[in-house]
Amino acid sequence: MTDHEQLDLQDRSELEYEADDAPNHGTGHDTDRDPQEKPPSKTSLAAVSTIALATAACGGGGGSGGGGTPPPTGGGGTPAPTALSPDTDAQAARFALQAGLSVSTGDILEMRSEGYERWLDNEINQPIERSAQQFLSDIGFEAIDAEQWFFRSDPADYMIWNQLLTGSNSVRKRVALALSEFFVVSVNNIQIWPSTSIGAYWDILKEGAFGNFRDMLEAITLNAGMGVFLNTLGNQKADPATGRVPDENYAREVMQLFSIGLFELNIDGTERLDGSGNPIETYDNDDVTGIAKVFTGYNYSYEGNITFQSPPDRPNLNIPEARLLRNPMTANSFFQIPNRGDQHSMEEKSFLGVTIPSGTGAQESLRIAMDTLFNHPNVGPFFGKQMIQRLVTSNPSPAYVQRVAEVFNNNGSGVRGDLRAVFKAILLDDEALSLQSLADPTFGKLREPMLRFAQWGRTFGARSETTAWLMRDLSDRSRFLSQSPLRSPSVFNFFRPGFIPANSQAAERDLLAPEFQLVNETTAASYVNFMERTIDGRGFWMFDIKATYQDELEIVDDTDALLDRLDLLLTAGQLSETSRTTIADALNAQTVTATSSEEDKLAQVHRAVLLVMVSNDYLIQR
Amino acid sequence: MFHIGKSKEISRRAFMHRSSQLAVMGAASGYAMGLAGLSDAAAFDNSGGYKALVCVFLLGGNDHANTLIPFDVPNYNRYAQIRDTIAIGRDPLAAQVLNPLQPQTLTDDMQLALAPTMPRLKARFDQGVMAPLLNVGPLIAPITKQQFESDDVARFPRPAKLFSHNDQQSTWQSGSPEGSISGWGGRIGDLAASSNTNSMFTAINATGNAVFLSGDQIQPYGISSNGAITVRALDRRLYGSQAASDALRTLLTAGNGTVFGNDYAMANARSIQFSGFIDDAVSGVSLGTQFSDSSLASQLEIVAQLIAARSALGVTRQVFLVSTGGFDNHDGLIGTHEGLLAGVDTAMDEFYRAMEEIGAADQVTTFTASDFGRTLASNGDGSDHGWGGHHLIMGGAVNGGQFYGTAAKISVDADDQVGRGRLLPSTSVDEYSATLAKWLGVEAGEIPIISPNIANFNSPDLGFMRASVPAE
Repeated sequence: MTDHEQLDLQDRSELEYEADDAPNHGTGHDTDRDPQEKPPSKTSLAAVSTIALATAACGGGGGSGGGGTPPPTGGGGTPAPTALSPDTDAQAARFALQAGLSVSTGDILEMRSEGYERWLDNEINQPIERSAQQFLSDIGFEAIDAEQWFFRSDPADYMIWNQLLTGSNSVRKRVALALSEFFVVSVNNIQIWPSTSIGAYWDILKEGAFGNFRDMLEAITLNAGMGVFLNTLGNQKADPATGRVPDENYAREVMQLFSIGLFELNIDGTERLDGSGNPIETYDNDDVTGIAKVFTGYNYSYEGNITFQSPPDRPNLNIPEARLLRNPMTANSFFQIPNRGDQHSMEEKSFLGVTIPSGTGAQESLRIAMDTLFNHPNVGPFFGKQMIQRLVTSNPSPAYVQRVAEVFNNNGSGVRGDLRAVFKAILLDDEALSLQSLADPTFGKLREPMLRFAQWGRTFGARSETTAWLMRDLSDRSRFLSQSPLRSPSVFNFFRPGFIPANSQAAERDLLAPEFQLVNETTAASYVNFMERTIDGRGFWMFDIKATYQDELEIVDDTDALLDRLDLLLTAGQLSETSRTTIADALNAQTVTATSSEEDKLAQVHRAVLLVMVSNDYLIQR
Repeated sequence: MFHIGKSKEISRRAFMHRSSQLAVMGAASGYAMGLAGLSDAAAFDNSGGYKALVCVFLLGGNDHANTLIPFDVPNYNRYAQIRDTIAIGRDPLAAQVLNPLQPQTLTDDMQLALAPTMPRLKARFDQGVMAPLLNVGPLIAPITKQQFESDDVARFPRPAKLFSHNDQQSTWQSGSPEGSISGWGGRIGDLAASSNTNSMFTAINATGNAVFLSGDQIQPYGISSNGAITVRALDRRLYGSQAASDALRTLLTAGNGTVFGNDYAMANARSIQFSGFIDDAVSGVSLGTQFSDSSLASQLEIVAQLIAARSALGVTRQVFLVSTGGFDNHDGLIGTHEGLLAGVDTAMDEFYRAMEEIGAADQVTTFTASDFGRTLASNGDGSDHGWGGHHLIMGGAVNGGQFYGTAAKISVDADDQVGRGRLLPSTSVDEYSATLAKWLGVEAGEIPIISPNIANFNSPDLGFMRASVPAE
């Protein structure tokens, strides 16, 4: 540990001071004025391109070359796959779009021959392709150099758009994205190595998507990015001399948002009521204060001989290697720099009816706290309902929630929290698959803006010219999508699961419509404007990402064929006759034949894609 | 100086002209567009020319204790002893002490200074157009610490889900936790809408969607800091095709028989129908006042432009919402929070100057709100979620230069707090909202619509607004 001794001399306070100079994303809800408006500078782009080109040969292109680890299997004997198969291409597409980020004609063929569940199992069992870590290190975003990647969050956008716009693992990534909206960390609030931090977080979600909830809860709790975001990092035990008490932020949010929620729930997700008909709160402030002590003493872990370097142009700045952010936080001060001695509270810790005796250390306290939260009867319905909302429908029936919660409680082999079983239960449920739900005007959800963009990229073969996937933060409400993955404005996600838009048909029927929290007169118009210039590639944000529309160009002279294809791949065959006629008439007003110019053909494809993607038949996923 | 009657007529004609160019199909009925059903004879005083309320929401829970800081030695020493490493030094407070224009004695003879990074609002206090409201927060009815600690919710009701961000944001804005669908700004708008020629511009939201401005009838128009956003391809050919542009218009406003599809079509229809009109109205405005380059300042800038265009917009009563985030300072309170307050100080002062520029300073009242106040006790380098907090009200119609409400003791265990220095509010949000609503023109009998618990409190009017404003 000589390195360790040496590292003790490093002064992190200087590092933290310097961090204030970093480009800082606003932490407010409004991102209209993004301090990082500019795309990366020409010089930085040139540098990236060079590095990217140099590494493209070793598997950086988004294929499945990334040396993935085998997926975790879902703890035990799952029942034999149902033989249920889609009767039509549209049904197959519908399932693939609920389960994943996009659908291809290959998916449809496979699903029709093998059935829903076999297809889903195949997807889940795919080797995990390129990780965030691989992307960031391959392209050079973890170098300590004059580009100051250690303060920059734009590589986080490149990383996540690379993940979502291309490549395999569509279902795994879709589920990880849903998890990122439940266990929320936002890169906006991370100052040191923001991209590596959020990349490590994304890798936890993606690798654990079909593992166990209990493992994921602990992994996200100890993730350094989460530590920064919700203040576990540097949280100290109480000091009676000064009156200082532990920080309560993580304590509160891990209960309210990441596990049990505010009110006691029945297994079907409805609220339990007391004798007077009132909901019963799951915890009070004493529980918060009690469990807050569990999350004390944690800080960055320098385990693994993490060293510091100075960028050549700033010799006074000591930057730890990026991999520091992939280490889980530790409460063992031996691995902390500087070593200030253990800061974990050894007081008695009481919460949710559990008492951890005084003198219990960090690791054991964490185990008890995680077990207590994990085993609370609320978790199944609380988590299950929100995952149904993200993937299938905003207003699942209580019976649907119950079926999923029961699988959460027991996967059939006595295992609680088996996420593979839970997500399969959500997707294979009759309420999700049945044609009856299509006849129900209240079924479904508004497709999230970031999912529309991801689907566009995957469906039309988006490529990165630099292979670095230079796509920006798309949070701005007036020009982009009002949503960008891993950039929630707060721990409360982009929208709340209980949101009901005022003065709407949804409100009249008392229906939840979470994604509508992003919709107003501004964002409705900016979505159309954004897609117009995304689809034709002329938006200033489109300098690196290009779609080929290869398959569409081949059939562009046949309006019916073109619309058949777009209808199937974008809306799962749900384009209404009225919408289809409107679009077909507009397309047929132009004469495009096999001999038309490439430009005319492309313009026709662009018209068709845009008109489908702004239709309400597309926007509402059912 | 404009003539309401004439401008109303011009504005109405301009709007109808634009609307007539559109065929709103399917779901988009006139009722839901906010065009009808609003002219019921609500008791509302729309005399005295234009008036507006602007809510500045500080997202995350503002640390009130480092916003208004005790300066007198005994109280400062208590504060510094409790806050330790998160206390602000005393020296820079000297220039920021708020000396009431009329003699006033606060709890324990406390002298309060505004944060050192808020010199502009300190000057507005001295000028008599800014007033702090001390220890205000959501309450159902007055409650003592002993009653609160009894946990007897039936006898001593208190707001649900105290200390939780999303629920207390909602409670401040609407009176109940998340899931609430109308806010008091929107309910004021319901009553005020009939005063406006173009009632759909009664409530305008310059930040992310929030319940504050949703009424039982009115729906806020959502604008961006870059102004109203219009669908560009409707005003020209889409990828070279007029037929495609026409199809776009049809598709955007066509309901599809599903609830969510119809609701989305409605949002599109509102966007198409209203945004061009707003864009035209605002394009005629040129403000001399320079706004700084922050999110809050740019939101307040577009609000200022809209107010400057009030005649063209056809409005005499409006409610606005702007917000700024980052106030959840569990860590790094010192430095971060002072910077945030500096941003509020600058933006609110710029907005006031813009209102002076257009002669509307007396017609527009700006006020702050936040999720909650925070603990006085420190967690090492920040503070945790609390309940009551202090807020600022500014405008030419404000009886400024003095404090309202009751200062809480500087303590972590006094009777006016519920642990770790979380303040038990001595003034309710209902009293705060009732006072503002009354100023805007809501008649006494309608106040309970805005502030449902007002009957439980002493003060339907806290007195921080002057009784009337000079007519234009």
